Amino acid sequence: MPAGRYKSRSLRRVFTKVISKTKLTYKKRKPKIAHCANCKTPLKGVPRLRPHQAQNTPKTQKRPQRPFGGKLCSKCTRAKIKSSIQE
Amino acid sequence: MYEIGRLCVKIAGRDAGKKCVIVDILDSNYVLIDGETRRRKCNLTHLEPLNQIIKIKKKASNVDIIKEFKKLKIEIKTTKPKKAEKRPKKTKKIKNNEEKTAIKTVKQTKTSKTSSTKEKKATPKKKTVTTKKVK
Ligand SMILES: [Zn+2]
Repeated sequence: MPAGRYKSRSLRRVFTKVISKTKLTYKKRKPKIAHCANCKTPLKGVPRLRPHQAQNTPKTQKRPQRPFGGKLCSKCTRAKIKSSIQE
Repeated sequence: MYEIGRLCVKIAGRDAGKKCVIVDILDSNYVLIDGETRRRKCNLTHLEPLNQIIKIKKKASNVDIIKEFKKLKIEIKTTKPKKAEKRPKKTKKIKNNEEKTAIKTVKQTKTSKTSSTKEKKATPKKKTVTTKKVK
């Protein structure tokens, strides 16, 4: 039986390899996938990282390099630039 | 629609939102562009044409295009190639014979110490022997 604080499923269960056996460890869950602010489709090139992991990864690995990268999807950015030209 | 000298705005990639000019037509799908963006091959689906046309030659150089853009009051940032600084070359220090011998003795003492510590309990007399070697 797990200890009382691990009974609720808010923590992820991970089997880690120890010498000659596997051991149950508990880890916090990953955040949700980032979504486009306009059309709500899941964004590509944006990793799911916990805050302390995100702190240690470079900025260039956390979002695409185009304008509005990491906020809008590529389709929406193209539409936005096109509409800004026509005005 | 897409002819040489046509002003465009790039839609896709890291140069998105920047103005450029078509310099050469490579294919039915691809053109060569230059201007605020980097000088590069580009897909036509990644371009949005504007009304203006600039008079330039086919395969015009980057310097000419910068001049033409200045007339339109668009300044292009030019980055100079960095000059490689001369690195000080690593030179091996030639040691004198005295220094060489000094290093050897230090090494010997290190090895002798480790050996002596083991032998300390058994034979304390050997300690004196090792110290002689140092000198
Ligand atoms: Zn979108």
